[in-house]
Amino acid sequence: MSPRLFALIPAAVAINLVIGRVVAELSLPVYLDTLGTMLVAVLTGLSGGLLVGTVSQLLSGMLSGYQWLAFTPIQWLIALLAALAASRGGFSTHWRSAAWGAACGLAGGALSAVISFVLFRGVTAGGVTAIGAGLRALGFSLESAVTLASVSTDVIDKIMAFVVVGMLLRALPRRVLGRFPLAARAVGR
Amino acid sequence: MTDWARRAHPFTPGAVMLALVAAAVIAPAPNGSVIVYSVTIMLAIITGAGRGVWLGILVSAPLWLLLFVMHGILGEGPRAPFIGGGTLAVEGMRWAIGQGARLAAIVTASLAFATVFDPHRFLQAAIDRGWPWPLAFLVVATLDAAERFAGQARRLREAQRTRGLKVHGSLLTRARAIPALAFPLMLAALTEADEHTLALETRGLTRRGRRTALDPPADTPLDRLTRWIALLAVMLLLTWRISA
Repeated sequence: MSPRLFALIPAAVAINLVIGRVVAELSLPVYLDTLGTMLVAVLTGLSGGLLVGTVSQLLSGMLSGYQWLAFTPIQWLIALLAALAASRGGFSTHWRSAAWGAACGLAGGALSAVISFVLFRGVTAGGVTAIGAGLRALGFSLESAVTLASVSTDVIDKIMAFVVVGMLLRALPRRVLGRFPLAARAVGR
Repeated sequence: MTDWARRAHPFTPGAVMLALVAAAVIAPAPNGSVIVYSVTIMLAIITGAGRGVWLGILVSAPLWLLLFVMHGILGEGPRAPFIGGGTLAVEGMRWAIGQGARLAAIVTASLAFATVFDPHRFLQAAIDRGWPWPLAFLVVATLDAAERFAGQARRLREAQRTRGLKVHGSLLTRARAIPALAFPLMLAALTEADEHTLALETRGLTRRGRRTALDPPADTPLDRLTRWIALLAVMLLLTWRISA
């Protein structure tokens, strides 16, 4: 592992945790707790993203309970899709970022719904569970409520995350992008 | 015994925490989960990690509430009368109590461990045991970075607000604040990574070979016994659960 990746990982994990907290303080119905994972996956490739995702879940487990380790595969999926999007120039415009974000949200939401239903019967983080409870009160079955709540929140969350990462990458000077060939390809330079 | 968790070898509270998390997962709900939660609270208080119990109650309170609403009030199946003329799903309440106790036990064990965890003692212990240095470094550097960035985020938020950034109001207004708060942090991470790369290269991060711990924490017979008991307890519980 290169010293650059070693230096990036702690900062990226901190971004995941801190921006997640900032967004929670803004009371927005999204998490944005995977920005660091996406950023490293786009800058250094899949292995970096996988590592950041895993360390993030371990650390966030220490701070809020290790039950959330069950959601580590979501971090891996996001790293995979962010690296794939980067290799296909998926961050070159707002619209391309948003489209990849929507695809990632659908995949992540579906996986999250399965984990949430099988292991937690739909009771996980506050916002998504509140939406699920609302859907249950409207007469949806538990399976449908959990799936709809997970997918809808994840799609919005990942669209926003991909757009934010895309904006940041496009704003980076060529000198910085030159050090990360995958990121340069991601924004079409 | 009051401050034992802080004075113990750094691997010992970690082993006990992992054993409690495993026990919470293995133990049958609801009775087993309630017993594991009670044991977790007792151990945390006895060993001086009582703050973790209070933090655990704060973190798991919303989960208890959501479990009650989702499975007690909105649950399916036979219902029993509840105060105020309402009814609750019997099976749903059983699940809510079992799952609530299980999650509360895991949250409490995790937070009790976090309150006594000293990253620098852990680094010394890991080096002393011959763990790969980069791995130990990653744990400590990440915890340091999380604390530093949290402070930076607070200062940034105040600075942006004095420049007119709105963090209250409609959903759209609040969503618009995200780039102004996230971008500087992400750029700072990239800049910091550049500086740290050079520092890590000069300190020989990727060099192979065993390093010498400058101040390794003592690993007493009590520490070793505690870790073995933790492992044995989980193995016994697992065996009992499989055979039952």
